Amino acid sequence: MNLNEAQLLQAYRKMRQIRAFEDRVHDEFATGEIPGFVHLYAGEEASAVGFCMHLNDEDRIASTHRGHGHCIAKGVEIKGMMSEIYGRRNGTCAGKGGSMHIADLEKGMMGANGIVGAGPPLICGAGLAAKFRKNGGVAIAFVGDGGSNQGTTLESLNLATVWNLPCIFVAENNGYAESTGSKWSVSCENIADRAAAFGMPGVVVDGHDFFAVYEVAGEAIKRAREGGGPTLIECKLNRYYGHFEGDAQTYRGVDEVKKVKESKDCLMLFSKRVTEQGLLTQAQLDAIDKEVAAEIEASVAHAKSSAKPTSADLMTDVYVSYP
Amino acid sequence: MRLQDPPKEVSRPIRVGILANPASGRDIRRVISKASVFPTAEKCNMIQRLMGALTVCGVDEAWMMPDKGGIATVIKRFGQTPEGKRLLPVQFTDTDIMEIPEDTRLSVRAMIAAGIRAIIVLGGDGTHRLVAEECGEIPMATLSTGTNNSFPELREATLSGLAAGLVATERLNLDDVTRREKRLLVEVNGETRGMALVDACISADMFVAAKAVWQVEQLRELYVTFASSEAIGLSSIASLVNPVGRDEDHGLGVQMDPEATQKVMAPIAPGLFAKLGIQRWDELQLGSSWAPTIDRGVIALDGEREIEFRAVDNVRLSMDRLGPRVIDVSKALGAAAKQGIMLSDSNE
Amino acid sequence: MARELTFKDAINEALAQEMARDETVIAMGEDNVGGMGAEGEIDAWGGVLGVTKGLHAQVGDRIMDTPITESAFIGAAAGAAACGMRPVAELMFIDFMGVCFDQIFNQAAKFKYMFGGKAETPLVVRTMIGAGLRAASQHSQCLYPVFTHIPGLKVVIPSNPYDAKGLMIQSIRDNDPVIFCEHKSLYGLKGDVPEGSYAIPFNEANVVREGGDVTVVAMGMMVHKAMEAASALAKEGIQCEVIDPRTTSPLDLETIIESVENTGRLVVVDESNPRCSMAADISAQVTEQAFGSLRGPVKMVTAPHCPPPFSDVLEDLYIPSPEKIAEAVRALK
Repeated sequence: MNLNEAQLLQAYRKMRQIRAFEDRVHDEFATGEIPGFVHLYAGEEASAVGFCMHLNDEDRIASTHRGHGHCIAKGVEIKGMMSEIYGRRNGTCAGKGGSMHIADLEKGMMGANGIVGAGPPLICGAGLAAKFRKNGGVAIAFVGDGGSNQGTTLESLNLATVWNLPCIFVAENNGYAESTGSKWSVSCENIADRAAAFGMPGVVVDGHDFFAVYEVAGEAIKRAREGGGPTLIECKLNRYYGHFEGDAQTYRGVDEVKKVKESKDCLMLFSKRVTEQGLLTQAQLDAIDKEVAAEIEASVAHAKSSAKPTSADLMTDVYVSYP
Repeated sequence: MRLQDPPKEVSRPIRVGILANPASGRDIRRVISKASVFPTAEKCNMIQRLMGALTVCGVDEAWMMPDKGGIATVIKRFGQTPEGKRLLPVQFTDTDIMEIPEDTRLSVRAMIAAGIRAIIVLGGDGTHRLVAEECGEIPMATLSTGTNNSFPELREATLSGLAAGLVATERLNLDDVTRREKRLLVEVNGETRGMALVDACISADMFVAAKAVWQVEQLRELYVTFASSEAIGLSSIASLVNPVGRDEDHGLGVQMDPEATQKVMAPIAPGLFAKLGIQRWDELQLGSSWAPTIDRGVIALDGEREIEFRAVDNVRLSMDRLGPRVIDVSKALGAAAKQGIMLSDSNE
Repeated sequence: MARELTFKDAINEALAQEMARDETVIAMGEDNVGGMGAEGEIDAWGGVLGVTKGLHAQVGDRIMDTPITESAFIGAAAGAAACGMRPVAELMFIDFMGVCFDQIFNQAAKFKYMFGGKAETPLVVRTMIGAGLRAASQHSQCLYPVFTHIPGLKVVIPSNPYDAKGLMIQSIRDNDPVIFCEHKSLYGLKGDVPEGSYAIPFNEANVVREGGDVTVVAMGMMVHKAMEAASALAKEGIQCEVIDPRTTSPLDLETIIESVENTGRLVVVDESNPRCSMAADISAQVTEQAFGSLRGPVKMVTAPHCPPPFSDVLEDLYIPSPEKIAEAVRALK
């Protein structure tokens, strides 16, 4: 498996964008300016980017309540996302969706989702559509370890095999369904073990390692595009923030996150690898960090200065047509 | 139900380590070639079966690595008699599990510190390699639960448990029933960076990525400690040009080149054959050391990409017979029968 | 002479014509083809009551059997709809909404709004409603008020073969998610159905019978019960105006109010349970908007507040009867 310089830079930029976006939303949420429920993806970047680097706009993904990372990885515009999180009229969803519902169908992003386990059935439909439209498209459902226990997910695994759909189910196992440990709530050690019961390959991959995710994702996606059928891939990873912003995380171990950040952080691992290998220079990475920081800064300023929806917006877009 | 106590006095408690890798058998080869999945539930069953054998031998305690869920949870939940009495008391090491290879190393160290007399390993070549790096003189029983394993045996766990139990309780002569294995060492810039029990393979790849080696276009050099004609995996490449036994005091080095006219069709993973160009092969002598022929790439140890190196790195490989002391289950059970260990004149 | 078709065959013809017209129309459901994975014939059932029989021969794999997995395939239909297809998914009985409702009301119904207008979900969920077949509590309900409650959904309840075909064609062509409720007691009903394709627009109530004394609003099977009552009442000199709204979302309140302004009296007949029913909803809206025209209280004739029972004696008591409807009308006169 080889990646060229442009691809390496793109992977790093996307992961850095997600990290910077989430860190900033975390800080901004603390000021009280961001309304509602916000669930951050920081720490899990290698998974979203490792998969979405293989996709085009025709390919679909469905995300979870922890969806910002998937949106950015799939190419949703950061400015619009930030405005959406602030509830502004120029947000991705015109201020009607918010953090949990950011979607951009033109980019193939079928939505973050407030309902745990709701994505996999939708992705079966996206896969079915790709099959009928013969466009070689694939569809990927991201779920967490919590979502992996939902009937919708398990039913979708079955349906995807029965219909031989070009679907990939990515279980991002960050160890916690809200505050409940996956080692208690998932009946088997590896969510990927369940694949065998549904007649599809199940793979466990280190979700901190972009290169490992990228390679596994590439093969599963290739297989799906070629009509080989669905795959279940479990990314073992960690989330850096709480279930939602404001979660005191008293259920986590002492220094748990600190240890992960120090030993397995995906950006750290990536930077170390590419610089030690002489593939990219630290200066190149620093330049991206700087650009991304400015981009996030601008997106916050833009969101804060943007108008909120008006009363005229309340009743629009309920239907395509309704008397 | 237990065997009669061993004739000579053995200091107690008698502890045996069990190291099971929950992640083995789940890598990218599931997608590539329909490689089998080895369910956690079956690993747990194997552990419970071998614990039964350890109990029969009079082992006092099993020591295990805690893990993030499955295996430890199942053993805690089910490793008991209906009356709630443990078949075999189990202790878990206090390893801080980070889901990295280091977990295994730290756990083995803790087990050795606790005084285990034998260790039973369930996993693939990779897991056995990690344990071998740490276990020193502790006799190791091997059980394959991975994808394509050359080093550990595919064997019923009860019998491996029995052999390990007989060794741990000092009923058998260690030198008669164990074998010192060969190993390959990789040094980078003077520092030992890894060990292989079966094969070290050098590819012109750039990244370790998903670890398992499955693409062959980039493979350039293969070094094996042994190569059985029945092997599946990279060592099959060597075995098909020149098999080498575990007991023979040499290994084999194979130079590959996609342009070479001599080809070998090798099963490099379950369900996956590759046609490779073979340029030449040479015997490797114990004690010898050499440098790779290419100056940048990735080194895979026992089938898993582990080490990335560049032109500026000074890489050396070497081979010796200072690997782990592995229990030969056939020999152990043969000796047990010959010594009448399993016979008894009591009705108890 | 006009051609007669059963209610069931009218739906079948609508599906066949739309699937022939538009390649993006696909159909799916449990046993929709029937016989998949079995030793015998393909298209053995064509739907549990034969509504989709014969479609497989016409459209091939665009009509699909599904496992019994409503969450997954109703969700898949919603997903496919958001990806450019026009799926018609069959939720065999509306009573089964409990296992897949999230995919309908939290997903399909809300995509457009939640995504800031940038989504269209042209999904049709066909589903059987209604009592009368002694199918007991979990196969006999009329749960359309629950769907009517949800913004983003459209709800269609045809009462005759002509409407069934025209409304199904409209449902498939419509760009919003539609719940298409088929009363199982109507499947055998025959009526004139044109051979060509035609769509009946939503939000256009059908005045089934004109009359100046009392307005009777009824939907689905209840239209026929109301008509029976109206015939009986006509003999007593009471002229009922019977209105079939045909869609409960959108609801053609205008036609109902116009009629009430003329009659001054309203009876709403609804086979669902009374609380939060269509009867309650229409009563409230008419009372709010046309109170001045009413010469008496609005009467609701509904099933009682109990689950549909099994025993024929009990089920017959459960279903609103022409007698009960007539009684309600007489009480207003």
